[in-house]
Amino acid sequence: MAGKYSSDPEWANIQPIPLNDGSDSGSLPLATIAYAADYLEAMSYLRAVMAANEMSDRALKLTEDIISLNPAHYTVWIYRAKILFALEKDLLEELEWLNGVSLTYLKNYQIWHHRQVLMSSTTHFPTLPPKESSFLMEMFAQDSKNYHVWTYRHWLVRHFKLWDHPVELADVESLINTDVRNNSAWNHRFMLRFGPRDDQHAAGMPNGDAPGSEKGRMAVVDEDVVDGELGYAKAKIVRAPENRSPWAYARGVLRAADRGLEEWREFVGKFVIVKEDGEVVVKSTHALEWLADVYARERKEEAVRMLTLLREKYDPIRTNYWDYRIQMISSAV
Amino acid sequence: MPVIAATGKQRRKVRFSNNRPVTSINANNLQATSNSPAPTAVSNPIASKSSTKTIMSTTAAVRPGVPALFTEPPVIHDPLTTETSELQEQTLEKCLPFLQGNQKSQREPFSRHGVPALGRDDHIGFLYDSLEEYPDDFVALDASRPWMCYWALAGLSLLGEDVSKFRQRVIATFTPMQNPTGGFGGGHGQMSHSASSYAAVLTLAMVGGSEAYRLIDRRGMWSWLGRLKQPDGGFRICENGEEDVRGAYCAMVVISLLDLPLELPPDAPARQHGLETFTSGLPEYLSRCQTFEGGMSGSPGTEAHGAYAFCALACLCILDRPEKVIPRYMDVPLLLSWLSARQYAPEGGFAGRTNKLVDGCYSHWVGGCWPLVQSALDGMQPAAAPNKASGNLYCREGLTRYILSCCQAKRGLRDKPGKHPDSYHTCYTLTGLSTTQHRHYHTDTSATSKEPFASAFSWKYTPVSSNVNDDTDVSVFEETDRVNPAHPLYVIPHKAAEDMRLWYEKEPLDFA
Repeated sequence: MAGKYSSDPEWANIQPIPLNDGSDSGSLPLATIAYAADYLEAMSYLRAVMAANEMSDRALKLTEDIISLNPAHYTVWIYRAKILFALEKDLLEELEWLNGVSLTYLKNYQIWHHRQVLMSSTTHFPTLPPKESSFLMEMFAQDSKNYHVWTYRHWLVRHFKLWDHPVELADVESLINTDVRNNSAWNHRFMLRFGPRDDQHAAGMPNGDAPGSEKGRMAVVDEDVVDGELGYAKAKIVRAPENRSPWAYARGVLRAADRGLEEWREFVGKFVIVKEDGEVVVKSTHALEWLADVYARERKEEAVRMLTLLREKYDPIRTNYWDYRIQMISSAV
Repeated sequence: MPVIAATGKQRRKVRFSNNRPVTSINANNLQATSNSPAPTAVSNPIASKSSTKTIMSTTAAVRPGVPALFTEPPVIHDPLTTETSELQEQTLEKCLPFLQGNQKSQREPFSRHGVPALGRDDHIGFLYDSLEEYPDDFVALDASRPWMCYWALAGLSLLGEDVSKFRQRVIATFTPMQNPTGGFGGGHGQMSHSASSYAAVLTLAMVGGSEAYRLIDRRGMWSWLGRLKQPDGGFRICENGEEDVRGAYCAMVVISLLDLPLELPPDAPARQHGLETFTSGLPEYLSRCQTFEGGMSGSPGTEAHGAYAFCALACLCILDRPEKVIPRYMDVPLLLSWLSARQYAPEGGFAGRTNKLVDGCYSHWVGGCWPLVQSALDGMQPAAAPNKASGNLYCREGLTRYILSCCQAKRGLRDKPGKHPDSYHTCYTLTGLSTTQHRHYHTDTSATSKEPFASAFSWKYTPVSSNVNDDTDVSVFEETDRVNPAHPLYVIPHKAAEDMRLWYEKEPLDFA
């Protein structure tokens, strides 16, 4: 049977390495695939050129062919990147091609690492390509919480030092405005505002290497930024008080600034209204939890009362956790 | 009981409820990173069409024994509608009829708590079938075949099947996947990958026996893993591949099971940065993956995610005793708050991230974090007399309900109602079910005396009674629905992990 490669003179000097799926051992291999003939043939040529570590245009074309048959094939992506660099190919062209592939295979995992590998080349990309941010927004329009795309964007920020880049913040704001519950966007915002910038290793929480309770605190804080972010979180909480994202964000901000939860007592009180007859009207479980934390040291009974409301009525799936919290508060000296 | 001759020549075709090709497969990841972390054999683009439209009220008869917590929407509901809230509403609509126990497709008999029985034999049949041949439009699985083996055998072990009958077929499958330069790839001629190597080693451990153990080129593995170690303490998932917490967890699973030397090979690039062992800088790296929310991300700075949280915590617990290593490198109160918030009502199941949907696979990724965190709080137990008073901080009842009521398809288990089952979800929902049925703790008695892994091989369990029924903890499964325990770090039977470790300890590598 003459295949695409076996009948091509360009490939005549290659001895393909056929698939060994283990069946010649006498036992049937598991979870096998009845591969189509074209895939089987292309893969046998891939094995052969990879074994010879061939860096050539024909090998590059072969990788494109295999990606079109199976984009989830990590090996072929890594081999492709290697060839691109070895042959000093135009990476801008590669990026253009990749854009098309990315939109076709939204959930593909390998594409984003490949993009990062290309973008790491300071020769080709000394600064952020102008269209990169808008391309990512195009991806987020399809899937605004795609973990691979956010991971790539996070890498991009660190690589090109984009923490204060206006487009970065504008994109995050636009996504949060579209869906205030987009936690991925909130996470990105936190990293832009408070993520470590200099230390090569650290990248997540400020002071992320520190033990337990010291984590998350910044050595130097710009109080204006902190106040601005707290105001931002408040405005978003008002829109949907039961949305966990801005509450967690605000806790992270206060922690970074080493400021207590107490300063939000009045604001948080708006969501937990205690009536004259003692009845409590609750508009947010997160507000209840916040108040419990504020009261934990000074007014233990109040803290326990808040946690009991969560336990009994507002968040009973977490009964055991709230019990644990009550126990911790009660046993604290 | 479906029986398939594991070594017979007769090959069965894999059967699917809908024979549609896979459109998106994440080869060789821990399925942790996509939005719908569920891409395996039968992930289905138009699956949502099969969902039934129901009203969100509880006017339909709720089966006796199902509390209101699992049949009614949360007390507080923000009126603002966004994409997130719409998806959440749709999910509730799909789940509620199943939680109420009034879907015709649900399996009789129901427990006195209104929970359908585990369709053990059908799930067993589904997993056996998942090991056979796939049609050519499943080519996207080509790099995930080691996973397919692991998910099926791990699931079958949980369901009580003896998987050692697969030994020869497992050996036949993995032999061509091993590379002469060390490690296993996703198939013949594919680069070695830490996820493939993880799945290969665990699968070989499950079938057990000298022939299976001897297949692994440990020296090659050691050398290959050395090339993955990074200057910041973490691991890449393959050479020139990305670095993330999966890489770290998979590497430490392999190193500890194969009794590989902790010293980095002389030519490991990380040595040029002053690192000397595989564990150098590793807990610090994992520590940097905890985010301001409290959970762990795939790499420092990205979003907290259930699957990465499991990888990070399990990796720490391989390195040392939970009560020592977790509080030292993680902010525990913050972690507890985030982890506890992964469980939703009325669904009862876990979501992987803040403001995302429940998915059966997190029954393991999030559910599997709980025994590790609980052990960090409880501390080491005397093997002979563990503290029986220890409770648990999540709602076992809710998780059991979600798995048995919402995740069971006719054959196999799934992400949620309306999705098709696959072996990935079948494996990890069953692992989650097992976690709700057993209490895990680490002890003063280990299968190995070699540090630092004595703690990793000291885990024991006691079954949780199916009659527990008190204020804060209810068992809603029947005794006939009990599945086997899985090791909380290695996620295979305890004995399979211990036997493999001990066998290699008796075969020291000679590096002279």
